[in-house]
Amino acid sequence: MAKKSNKIIIIMFILFLLSINVLNIITSDRKFSEFENRMLAQFPSFKIKYITSGRFTSKFEEYVTDQFAFRDFWVSIKSDIERVTLKTKNHGIFFGKDGYLLEDYNKPNKCLDENISSINSFSEKLPNVTAYLLIAPNSVKIYEDKLPLFASPYNQLETIQYVKENLDENIDFVEVYDILNSKKDEYIYFKTDHHWTMRGAYYAYQVLSNYLGVESYKTNNFDTDIVSDEFYGTFYSRANNTHIAPDSIEVFYPKSNVKYEVNYFDNNKATDTLYEVKYLDKKDKYSFFLDGNHALMTIKTNVKNNKKIAIFKDSYAHCFIPFLTNHYEEIHVIDLRYYNLSVYEYMEEHDIGEALFLYNVTTFSADENIKKLK
Amino acid sequence: MRAIIFAFIENILSIKVRCDSMVFSSLTFLFIFLPITLLLYFISPRKIKNIVLLIGSLIFYAWGEPVYILLMIFSSVVDYTHGILIEKHRDNDKKARLIVLSSAIINLSLLAFFKYSDFLIENINYLFNTSLATLNLPLPIGISFYTFQTMSYTIDVYRKEAPIQKSPIALATYVTLFPQLIAGPIVRYQTVADQINNRIETSDKFAEGVKRFVIGLGKKVLIANNIGMLWSEIQGINISDLTVLTAWLGIIAFSFQIYFDFSGYSDMAIGLGKMFGFDFLENFNYPYISQSISEFWRRWHMSLGTWFKDYVYIPLGGNRVSKIKVYRNLFIIWFITGLWHGASWNFVVWGLYFGVIIAIEKAGLLKLLENLWKPIRHIYVVFILSISWVFFVFDDISIGLSYLKIMFGFNNTGFFDTHFLYYLCNYIILLIISIICSTPYIKNKHSLLLESINEKHRLFYENIIITVICFGILFFSTAYLVDATYNPFLYFRF
Repeated sequence: MAKKSNKIIIIMFILFLLSINVLNIITSDRKFSEFENRMLAQFPSFKIKYITSGRFTSKFEEYVTDQFAFRDFWVSIKSDIERVTLKTKNHGIFFGKDGYLLEDYNKPNKCLDENISSINSFSEKLPNVTAYLLIAPNSVKIYEDKLPLFASPYNQLETIQYVKENLDENIDFVEVYDILNSKKDEYIYFKTDHHWTMRGAYYAYQVLSNYLGVESYKTNNFDTDIVSDEFYGTFYSRANNTHIAPDSIEVFYPKSNVKYEVNYFDNNKATDTLYEVKYLDKKDKYSFFLDGNHALMTIKTNVKNNKKIAIFKDSYAHCFIPFLTNHYEEIHVIDLRYYNLSVYEYMEEHDIGEALFLYNVTTFSADENIKKLK
Repeated sequence: MRAIIFAFIENILSIKVRCDSMVFSSLTFLFIFLPITLLLYFISPRKIKNIVLLIGSLIFYAWGEPVYILLMIFSSVVDYTHGILIEKHRDNDKKARLIVLSSAIINLSLLAFFKYSDFLIENINYLFNTSLATLNLPLPIGISFYTFQTMSYTIDVYRKEAPIQKSPIALATYVTLFPQLIAGPIVRYQTVADQINNRIETSDKFAEGVKRFVIGLGKKVLIANNIGMLWSEIQGINISDLTVLTAWLGIIAFSFQIYFDFSGYSDMAIGLGKMFGFDFLENFNYPYISQSISEFWRRWHMSLGTWFKDYVYIPLGGNRVSKIKVYRNLFIIWFITGLWHGASWNFVVWGLYFGVIIAIEKAGLLKLLENLWKPIRHIYVVFILSISWVFFVFDDISIGLSYLKIMFGFNNTGFFDTHFLYYLCNYIILLIISIICSTPYIKNKHSLLLESINEKHRLFYENIIITVICFGILFFSTAYLVDATYNPFLYFRF
C-alpha cells in the first residue's frame, strides 16, 4: 500500500504537467506579442530535410516556448521574484527610484573608435559639407541619482569627452549634456523607454541652433499637447515588472503655419504630417514620431530658404527633427542601419550642404552600421 | 625546453567543447516529452516496457543531433556482440582479454574521434608548424558519459561482475537510457544489471523520483542558472578592470553554478530513473562541506571517481605498488580525469593540479589538517577549489593566470569597488541560499523534524507542506524557463 503523501505528490506532479498542457492546447497560437513587441514562432513545417538536420527540433522548441500558455504571466512572475530577492536589475534594466527604469551602460569597446573614425572620414570626403555631431546622453547618466544602491554603470560623460577629443576639428561637436542635466527636473526622458521625450529633444535643439546659426523657436512659439498617457516603452518590456507606471507622450506643435511634404521611400508613402496617430493605439507608441524607422525619408517644407540638411541618426532623432522643420526647406533623413546605397552619391546628387549626426551614447558606442560611411 | 612547453601550453587555443546539460530543464522536455514517455511506459505491458524506453531514449537523443542516433545504435551493437563473444571464449582468457581490449579500443576511438581529434590536430599543427584542417565536428551530446558506461559492460562481463545480457533490446536500453545519457551519473553496468531485466515500479518509488527530480530542477533552474548570471557578468568585465574581491566573488559564483548545475542534473537523472523503476547510485554528496581535497573527490562526481578507480587505478596496481608507481598512477589518473572534462590543456592542468594537491595530502598534509580547527580546514578546501575552478573555467590558460593574479592582489585596480558592492547586494540572498543548499542543513532538519513531530503533524507536513514546496519549485522553475527565452524585440536600437 503506497503512502498517502506519495500519492498526493504524484497527483500534484501529473496535474501540473497535464493542466499546463491542456492550457497550451486550448489557448490559440498568437502571431504577435504586444508585450514583447515581436512576431512569435509558429509551428514549424514538417519536412524530412528539416528533421534530419535538427532544424525542426530547434524550431519546435522555439514554438513551444513562444506559444507557452500565459507567457506574459510567467515572465512577470519571474521579474517579481527577482525584485523580492533584492535584485535591482532584470534583462539589463535597473529598477531605479521614483519609477525610473534605466539601462545599464558598459565601457565602450573598439566599435566606438570605429564610429568616430567613420564620421571623421565623412568630413574628409566631403570637406565642403558642414558636419555636426550631437551625442545625446541616455537617461542612465542624467538620472544617475535614481540608480539603485551601488549601481555604477560606466560614466557616459567620459564617452562623450572621448568622442569630442577624437573627433576631426572640422566637425562641430554639439554638447547637450549640460543643458539636459540642468533641466532634469522637467520631463525630458521617458521613465519606461530608452528615448528622450520631445521636451528633452527641445532643449538639445536650443543648443544645436547656436551651431546651425539659426534663431531657435522658444517654448511660447509652440502649442504642447499630451497625446498619450499610457506609454509602456522598451525598458518596461525588458524589466517586465507590472508594478511600473506608464509614461505620457508630449508633443510640441509650432504655432507658425509650416506645411510639410513627407516622403518615406522604403514603402513609397507620402504624407503631409510628421506624426502618425495610428501608433498611439499600439504598443510601439514612440513610432508616432515620423512613423518609426525608415531607411530614407525626406521632409520638404514651405520654408523657402533653399537650405538643405542631411541627418544620419538613430531613433532619438524622431522627436527631434520636427524642430528643424522650421528652419530648412529640405531635410533628408538617412538611417544607416537600413540604407545600403552610397551616402556620398546621395549627398552630391541632392546638393546638400549640411549634415547632422544625431545619436544617443548607447547606440553610438555599439552601432555596427556607422562604419558604412568609410 | 621548459620554456617551450610552457609557451606551448599557454598559447594553444582551446576548442570549445563542453558537456552542456540543458535538455532536462527545457519546457519541451518537461511538458511534452516527459508526460508522453511516462504515459506510454506505464500503459505498456511489462514485455515491451524496455522497447518503449529504448525508443523514447533514441528520440530524446535524436532531438539535438539526429544523425548521431546512428552512433548510439552502433555502440549498442558493438557492446552486445562483444559481450556474446566474451561469453563464448570464456575458457580462453587470452582471447577474452583481447575482446575486452577490442571493445575498449572501439569505444575510446569513438570518444577520441569525436571529442579529441580537433584538439590533437591543433597540437600537431602547433608543434610541427603544419596547417592540417580541423574537422569541426559537433560533439555528440553525452559521448564522454555513455562511452564510459558501455565500456563498463564488457569489462564487468569479463570480470564476472555482471551477467551477460542476452537480449539486444535490454542492452540497447541500458546504453541509451535517457535519464543519465547526457550528463551522468555514469552508471556502471554491474549496478543496474538486474534492474534492466526485472524492476518494479511502485508509486512510492515514483513519488521519490518526482521529489528528487523537482529538487534537481530547482537546483538547475533557480540556483545554477541565476548564480551563473553573476559569474557571466563578472566574466564579462575586462580583466584589467577587476578588483580583488570581485574576482573572488566571480569564482565563488562559478563554484556554485557548476555544483548546482551538475548535481541538479544528476538529481533529475536519479529522479527520472526512479520513476521508471531504476535505482542509480548517488553522484554527489555535499562536496563543498569537505575537510580536505581527498574528501572532496569522494563526494564530487562520485560515479566518475569510482569508474576510474575500478577500471584504471586499481588495474594499474592502485597504491599497493612501489612508491614511484603510486605517484605514476596518480599522475595518469589525474591527467585523464582532467582531459575527460574537455579537450583542452586547461582541463589537463586542472586535473594535474588536483593530483598534486592529493599527493601532498597523502604525503602528510592530511595528518597536519586533522589537528586544525574545523573552519580552517574548510577555508583551506574552499581556497584550493576556488583556484581549481579558475583553471577549469578559462579555456585559455594565460587568461586564467591573469585572473589568478587579480585574485591574489597583483593588480592596481584596488581591493574592491562599487561594482563589487553592487553585485554583493544584488546576489546576497542567492548566495546565502546557495551556501545553505550546498550543506546537508535542510536534509538534516527534514529528518529531524520527521523523527520528532507527532503523527498528526507528520501527516500534515508530508501531505501538505512537502507537496506545496514541490509545487512551488515546479511553478517558479517554469516561470524562469519561460523567461529564459524571453526575447523582447526592442524596435531596434535606432
